[in-house]
Amino acid sequence: MINRLVRRLFALIPVAVGVATLTFAIIHLVPGDPVVAMLGETAAPSDVVGMRHSLGLDRSLLEQYAAFLGGLAVGNLGESISYRKPVSQLIAERFPATIELAAAGMLVAILLAFPLGLIAGSNPGGAGDLSAMGFAIVGISVPHIYLGPLLMILFSLDLRWLPLTGRGGLDHLVLPAATLGTALAAILARMLRQSLIRVRESDYMRTALSKGLSARAALFRHGLKNALTSIVTIVGLQMGALLSGTLITEIIFSWPGIGRLLITAIGARDYPVVEGCVLTFAMTYVVVNIATDLVYALVDPRVRIS
Amino acid sequence: MSSRINELIFDSLVRNGRNGQFVGRLAQSIEHPSPTKTVYHLNHGVRFSDGRELTARDVLFTYNSILAPESMSPKRASLEELKSIEAPDDYTVVITVAHPYAPAVEIATEGIVPVGTPLPAQGTGAAPMGSGPFKMVAYSRDEFLRLERNPYYPHPPGAAQSILFKIVPDPTVRALELAEGVCDFAGNNIQNDVLPWLAADRSIEISKTPGNTYRYLSFNFRNPRLRDLRVRRAIAYAIDRNAIVSTVLLGNGRMATGMLSPESWAYEGNVTTYSYDPRKARQLLDEAGYPAAKDGTRGLRFEFKTSPEGARIGEIFQAMLQRVGIELTIRTLEFATYYADIQAGNFDLTSLQWVGINDPNQYYRVFDSKKTPPHGENRGYYSNPEMDRLVEAGKTTIDPDARKRIYAQVQQLAADDLPYVSLWWVDNVAVMNRRLAGFEAYPNGSLRSLATLKLAAPDSSGQPVASIQ
Repeated sequence: MINRLVRRLFALIPVAVGVATLTFAIIHLVPGDPVVAMLGETAAPSDVVGMRHSLGLDRSLLEQYAAFLGGLAVGNLGESISYRKPVSQLIAERFPATIELAAAGMLVAILLAFPLGLIAGSNPGGAGDLSAMGFAIVGISVPHIYLGPLLMILFSLDLRWLPLTGRGGLDHLVLPAATLGTALAAILARMLRQSLIRVRESDYMRTALSKGLSARAALFRHGLKNALTSIVTIVGLQMGALLSGTLITEIIFSWPGIGRLLITAIGARDYPVVEGCVLTFAMTYVVVNIATDLVYALVDPRVRIS
Repeated sequence: MSSRINELIFDSLVRNGRNGQFVGRLAQSIEHPSPTKTVYHLNHGVRFSDGRELTARDVLFTYNSILAPESMSPKRASLEELKSIEAPDDYTVVITVAHPYAPAVEIATEGIVPVGTPLPAQGTGAAPMGSGPFKMVAYSRDEFLRLERNPYYPHPPGAAQSILFKIVPDPTVRALELAEGVCDFAGNNIQNDVLPWLAADRSIEISKTPGNTYRYLSFNFRNPRLRDLRVRRAIAYAIDRNAIVSTVLLGNGRMATGMLSPESWAYEGNVTTYSYDPRKARQLLDEAGYPAAKDGTRGLRFEFKTSPEGARIGEIFQAMLQRVGIELTIRTLEFATYYADIQAGNFDLTSLQWVGINDPNQYYRVFDSKKTPPHGENRGYYSNPEMDRLVEAGKTTIDPDARKRIYAQVQQLAADDLPYVSLWWVDNVAVMNRRLAGFEAYPNGSLRSLATLKLAAPDSSGQPVASIQ
């Protein structure tokens, strides 16, 4: 198991290089100039040249790329152009906020998806199914940018239960997590329903029922565990959507995470910060999927990591 | 936004007055012994927030820091006319420019920091000190900024002890924070369409005052078809500015006659104007040799470049120009990409705004034929020898009355020759909680009066909160 884990972790390296290369290429290919963004267009040409030189932007793209990869190899993400601080420090300051938000969003998604999926899947076509799937359709369709302010108006402005924006105690986390997690909850609920329907028709369920188990007991003891395997995979894969959802959610809720850092950096063409943030997002995604595989082994007895 | 906050932390020798003139702040009096020399006599007893007295040595230090090549300060460019700065004694500063330069006092608007303040490039992270009404006590980038009173500043009774500026990136959420009372103040950053909703809230007051932010439509003279004055005039007549201001801006703007608003000392209102007249536009296009085909088109197609924020107005221009037979294709680009294109002069038509124009020398910066990219902001490559002569004269004529006459001609020529179509001046809209009293608006949107605001009903913190972008 350890062996396999180590191998998977080593496989991160080519992924990191690939992501770093793509990000580098994209951000350098789009027009826009960090020096002009900082000095303004009326800057004296000598200042522009001086600054470009001191930032190493006057070197060829290939040289800049080599320097970037070289830094990456020793864990140096470079220095932010506009913040004048090491990128790793900027990310370290904000990453916990993003992880907190993403984890809370995932928790909301799972807490909502399970009851909904169970209600829908245990009696397909019934009233519970229709209302649960109705909710799921709405949940998938409503974008974060609309759901966030809607929740704010209801729970913060009208009911005054929860704070509007910012990061603080647990109460600050509720609305952004609900905004982020609702769409994923809807997807997971639909997946769980499908799995349960499939499982209900399987031979082992018929066996369970014929040996005298109640429908409910058969579902919880045998059905759910089998239905879970596909859900776990989806949770891992959906982590990507969840992480990209943090970008919008962080803007709406003035949440000080790396999503906001990334958006600001793109506007300022702060190349090192953009590269660092995208790399962080990508690595988080990959690591979560490795973790998903480990969890998979726990819920599916047929899978043994060796 | 940072310049708005800097005004609360730093003092400058002079600052922008209400009418585009410069008034003394640190300077008690100003003398002009020669066309290239300005002498500033400083007030005694002005103190930085640590109690040190501000003297001419601090002024000298500030300017030398900006001018140091390693400073990489974006302000360096604004000092290009400066030849030397001297401090003959602790309360006198002499600024010399290379050539007679009418807006020379503009040089004296830099915020003064005490001797020994490290350059920002050296990145100590410590907030620089100033002698303004407030000092910065806490700052978290992208999150908030907290100002507290400079104890050595003569505050009026009842003024705020501290101000918290919250950075709220989402426009809808900024409005929600005002409605909830989390924020007390927002200046020029609330979308027009939510203003009626906020106005219905009894705890909120909305202040609308004339502003000098100037919105214009810019032509690129490298496109031969736009070099034809008849085509530019046709476009000016085809745009129903009144309709746009009343629907998109919800009335929060005034029809502009030129770059300078009526609040400016140099404003000239007696210029050619272009009220909505599609018939005249069609006639001009016929005369210019673009007759209408059966479907109404004239084979005149231009590209309108915009960032996503301006796309809505672009679509309105597109519909209005279509009525007279001009086809507009809209190219929407992410802001940094768009702006890089505009700065390089890479567009047919575009619409932007100039914010906070104080001195009419702005005309030199945007219409002089030497100021084309990358040397300046004449991004449309406009070239007219008469304009060049006038803006040069305006830049070097010291006598205010003579200068005013020159700029009257500049404004008339710009309205006749149309390097820009003047669209509107945007009103300043401040939304605030009624517990704040004494807000005073400035045409350029300055938030200086936050320093004198009074809290009618102070809460436990006694701290007004302003939301910023």
